[in-house]
This record gives sequence, C-alpha cells and structure tokens, in this order.
Amino acid sequence: MRGHRLRRTGLACASAALLCLGAACSDSSGAAPNHIAALADNVAEVTVDPGLPLIGYVNGLFATVTVCVPGTSDCQSIDHVLVDTGSSGLRLLGSELTIALPAWTDDSSGLPLAECTQFVDSYIWGSLRSADIKIAGEQASNLAVQVVDESTYPVPNDCTGKSADTAKDLGANGIVGVGTLVQDCGAACAASLSSGNPGLYYTCASASTGGCQAAAVPTAKQVSNPVAFFTQDNNGTIIELPAVPAAGAPSVTGSLVFGIGTRDNNVLAGAKVIRLDEYGTFLTQYPTPNGRYAMSFVDSGSNGIYFLDSSTTRIPACRGQLSSFYCPASEMNLSAKGQDVNGVVTVKVNFSIANPGILLTNSTISALDNLGGPSISPSSGDIGMYFDWGLPFYFGRNVFTAITGQSTPGGIGPFVAF
Amino acid sequence: MQRIPFGPTRFRKLLPPLAFFALLFCTRPASAALGGDVASIAADQALLAASVSIVRAERYTMHELAAATGTKVREYLDSEGKVFAVTWQGPFRPNLRQLLGSYYETFLKAADSRMSRGPLNISLPGLVIHMSGHQRAFYGRAYAADRVPQGLSTDEIH
Repeated sequence: MRGHRLRRTGLACASAALLCLGAACSDSSGAAPNHIAALADNVAEVTVDPGLPLIGYVNGLFATVTVCVPGTSDCQSIDHVLVDTGSSGLRLLGSELTIALPAWTDDSSGLPLAECTQFVDSYIWGSLRSADIKIAGEQASNLAVQVVDESTYPVPNDCTGKSADTAKDLGANGIVGVGTLVQDCGAACAASLSSGNPGLYYTCASASTGGCQAAAVPTAKQVSNPVAFFTQDNNGTIIELPAVPAAGAPSVTGSLVFGIGTRDNNVLAGAKVIRLDEYGTFLTQYPTPNGRYAMSFVDSGSNGIYFLDSSTTRIPACRGQLSSFYCPASEMNLSAKGQDVNGVVTVKVNFSIANPGILLTNSTISALDNLGGPSISPSSGDIGMYFDWGLPFYFGRNVFTAITGQSTPGGIGPFVAF
Repeated sequence: MQRIPFGPTRFRKLLPPLAFFALLFCTRPASAALGGDVASIAADQALLAASVSIVRAERYTMHELAAATGTKVREYLDSEGKVFAVTWQGPFRPNLRQLLGSYYETFLKAADSRMSRGPLNISLPGLVIHMSGHQRAFYGRAYAADRVPQGLSTDEIH
C-alpha cells in the first residue's frame, strides 16, 4: 500500500461508461481473456469499486475479511479491506471493529504490543490483537491483527510520515497484506534494539505519552500474512481480474484465489514464474532489452503503473489535479519485459497509458487499466531503477504471488507468475 | 496531523551553545538533517547506530550512514557544511522527522494533498521530494532546491 487515494472533484457526468462483462473483454494485445475462478472454499470475491462513501477510490481492490475472538463464534465481517500484495498482515480500523478481540501481548513482559507500520510516505499506528482470520472458507487461527487507532495509545515520536489511521486517509476499512513476505518486519524486529532493530514494534505500559516503548518481538509474534497461516492453500494467492475497456469501468468483480497448485482451480498452467529477490523485486526491461530496472515490483496496492519520468519516456505528465499521472495525447500501447532474479526467464508485458482526464468528468469510473505516472529520473542512481506495477497490471491477467519459503509446483517462493 | 516536535523549541533558540553538547550526549538531538549542519549528521548516526563513510566530490561532501538495519542514508553537504540533500534506500524507512528536519511539516502538508497511491513526488520552490517502494524496500530523496550547489546536477544526488 502506498500513499493515498485519488481524490476527485467536479460534477458527475451523466454518460455511462461501457461495462466490461467478463469474457466479452480482451486486453490490448488481443490475447484470450483470462479465466476467473468461481467462488469456492479457497476463492473470495474481490471488487474494484469507489470504496467507502465519499472516497472515490480509483483502482482500489477490496475484499471482505472476517475476524473472530479466537476459538469462538464471536465474529465480525468487515467489507472494503484493501487487498495489498505490497505488504503483509491484516490491519483494521479500530472505528469499524465492534467485537472485543483480546490483546496480543509481549511474551517476556506480558505488556500489550503495538506497531508503527511503515508505508512509502505514511504510517499506520495501533495496538495488536489476537484473532481468527477468515476469508472465503479459509482460516488462520490466533494470529496478530493490527487495530488502527491513535486514541488508545498516543503515536510515538519515532513513528513518522503521514498518518493513514482514519477511513479518510486510508480510503478503506483496513488493509490485508497478502504479499510475498511472511511477516511484515521479520528478523530485524526480533533483533536487540541496539543491533539493527528498526524499532517498529512497541510494548505499551500505559496510555500516556511515552507509555509505549520500542521492543524486540520474535517473528512468531509479528503481524503476518494470514494466507501463510491458513491450514491449507497456504503457499500463495492468485488475483484474477477481468480486462477493463480503455474508457474505464464503474466497478469490476474478480477472484482472490488461495493456494498455488493445491487444487484444480489454482494450477499454474501456462503462467511463467518470475523469481524475486528477498525484497520482492525483479528486473523490468523497458524499452527492451537495454532499459534495465532491477528494483521493479508488482503491487496491487499501487493504483497505477509508475515508472521513470517524462524526459525519459517522452510521455508528458498531466497538469494540475492529475499531475501525479502521465497524460499522453492519445492512448499509448507499450511493451516491457519482466526478467526473473536469476536472469533466466523473461516474460513480455503489454500495458497501456492514457490521459486520465475522464476521472475528472466521470466520477463513476473506479477501474482504469491505462492509469500510469512518473516516478523519478532513472539517472538518479538506484533510487529510480524501478517500475511499480500497480493494479492496472492485474486487469486481464491472473497474477500468482508465492509466499517466501513456501513450496509450490513452480518452486519455492518468493515469486510472481502470470 | 500535528506532531510533537523534537525537544522544547525554546531551548534551541535560547541556548545554542548547549546544542553542541546535546548532540554529543543525546540520541534525540535538537537539530535535524536536511538544512542542518555536519553536527546533525552525528545525531543521525547515533539514531541509526550507523557506520559512516565520507566521499568528497568537487561540489559537495557526501556522508553515507550504513545503519545496522540494512538501510543506507546519504547526506550531502555544501562547501559551508550545510546539508542540502538526503537520500535513503533499504528495508526500513529512516525517521523522517529527524532526517527532513525543518522541512518535515512542509512534507506532511504536501503529502496530504497528493493524488495517487504510488510513489510520492513533491516539487515545491524550495523542496523536492521523491519517496517510493513497498514493505521492506523503501527509497527516498529530498533536497532543498535553493541550496543545491551551482553546477551540480540533481541526478548526482542518489
């Protein structure tokens, strides 16, 4: 998850956008439409829609997640939880939670744990609770959930960036991180505070300022990708979304499938496996073969395809309210290649970039597959050496995400396949 | 969102000589990096538990702080010893309040009005910021545009 939602102004336009109805759609390359799995024990419905009232989210992928007091039937289902392959772990707005989940405590001190979760320019703060997490027919028992809330414990001074702790700032009722990582932090947060611990986890002795102090927390107690803790289908996910017409769509429905090669409905089949490094990155060639961007990543929580800058791509950026995006005169059909971390497998990726001005004139559009924007000049050393393949990459493709260390018929994670 | 600043501001104004000693003995110094001086780097080093290497170029001096967390922070100083740019790269974001110093509140205001969920790009007359990445792989660059030494391409800040 990165940054904030797209805000829109202006009046809704009366013209209806073309609906893309599943198999009737095809992507710009003319390839056969992707198959969307029917709902099943291991398949949850996901939607791309405007999100919570007054949010107007563009390219936000949402699911409904159920949490229960561990071992009981005291449960609550929460809709519009953002599905994010760029992070790991379930985080829910405290303001939405009506059941009393028990505190998740530090083993040595017995104190409640809290976390400052880092995103690109923002943070999520809140205490940890214990819950059984259910999505479709799958369950992870007694796992840590972050309850997003700045009122129970004050935000520590070291928790920096912009707050994403409200429905307005988050644009969703929560985030479910189903990325390649098992834990959100890993070994670093288990290390002693004086030797490389980034200090993201806290024990909270009181609700007064300074009542929460950074603490080392073993990986087993960290906020984790719930999929890795399902009793079955726990080696990864597939996000299956239909293609979207060039003019966008008011909403799109697809499937979040659990497991890779564990059932008939989640086989890799012809998908090509792009192995990732431990940070979830791979190499993008654009233009092929000489433009090489080794820190690229796939992230369903990014709402566009973000890459390079206008002087490199020769695609002008929009002005004014849409200045985060590219604004070509007409839709551009582009092609890149993804290359796995071993330099062995390359996969062609067709994508399109168009002027997103329709977002200002038609407020019913929430899915736009040709939304993209500049990141930074690739001349700026390592910092600019990436493509951020956001949600538009997922439209019309079945994208597999294999969890680190889990074995699949395509090898051990982490990898993406499509 | 209003945040509590580092330390009591009035002490910084009234007692500048003490600031030096504060930097020596505290891990929560009064001054911060971007726009600060070389002493502020010592403070960042303490906060990050970092080792430092120094690169001298024609138009700047670059201090690279390699934190034990695996994150690298670079701070670029002009000939007067003022930090005009900072960058970071690694599994964890550095403390932005510390690193952006007096520019932190400007950053928060500008980030609040962003239009995208993706990389952050802020371009103001005196401040250019880029932040990107995802969990356990973060990148960032911030520079005070009006303090970049003449003749230095901003591509060299990385």
